[in-house]
Amino acid sequence: MRTYVWVTIVGMAVATYLTRAPMFVALASRPLPPRVRLWLRLVPLAVLPALAIPMVLVHDGRLALGLAHPPLWGAVVVFVLAACRVNLLASVTAAVAVVALLRAVG
Amino acid sequence: MRAGFIASLALVPSVFVYGTVFGGLAVQSGLWPLEVWAMSLLVFAGASQFVAVPMIAAGAPVLAVVVTTYVINMRHYLMAATLAPSFRGFRRPWLALIAHLINDESFAVASARSRPPDAGVYLGSAAAISGSFVVGVVVGTLLGGLVDRPERYGLDFAFPAVFLSLVAVQLRRRSDWLIAIGAAALAVALALVLPGNWHILIAGLAASLVGALILPVDEEDAPV
Repeated sequence: MRTYVWVTIVGMAVATYLTRAPMFVALASRPLPPRVRLWLRLVPLAVLPALAIPMVLVHDGRLALGLAHPPLWGAVVVFVLAACRVNLLASVTAAVAVVALLRAVG
Repeated sequence: MRAGFIASLALVPSVFVYGTVFGGLAVQSGLWPLEVWAMSLLVFAGASQFVAVPMIAAGAPVLAVVVTTYVINMRHYLMAATLAPSFRGFRRPWLALIAHLINDESFAVASARSRPPDAGVYLGSAAAISGSFVVGVVVGTLLGGLVDRPERYGLDFAFPAVFLSLVAVQLRRRSDWLIAIGAAALAVALALVLPGNWHILIAGLAASLVGALILPVDEEDAPV
């Protein structure tokens, strides 16, 4: 048994349930304050780029900004396609293909 | 309930594909199919699962993965609070079970149809969405095991690609762009100096809190 993986999964499950159940089961009838609602809406908008951009731009603890860095072009491709409402699979596949291609030639 | 199920059918293919991509990548990252299925049933929150998989693959501390999951899923508080009044009269054990099915797509379907959302529409949608996600994950784990040497095909880039596409569809206002770019810049700066994955949480929380404090509260964020 891989204890680390299972403990992590259970921890994630508990943490996620704690975001869903308390207000729902208590049938909270009072709406959240507007600023809290605004904050909760902004959280994924801030966390996702905070996660993705360093994966693209930071390589071995250093900034990789060169035009010869394949993930940079992959990021541009997926971002533009998704912003144009191309579906997830197609935009991710296109970006992955661009990265694979640039690595193959580079 | 039928109405919600039918209204969600348009979303079934994309949720299914989303699940398939997740299942395939998770197996590619070294998780076992059983672990991926358990995660999808017990956590059932796609974006946070995508975030967790590379962290687990890199052996990140349990606490880091759990706290990151919690922060990404905090948006459920918003949905739970909006949905709760529609479920008066349901018994508590049912509420505890239905709460687990709260998801972005069903929330969008139910609140687009009526305000306050209808409990039946929501339940029908949750059935369609959770079913297609879980089936998608199972199919993905079975297919994902077929590819070896994933980095040769650029598959390691699929994670940031998924995150970027999730961000791209959420950017509607100029202030959204400012928050996203600010979070990204701060995260890159922190990633260069901090060990591990803490730059994600620090930059994500800092940028969203600053945004919540200084941006004007508009119609969409007002109480329903």
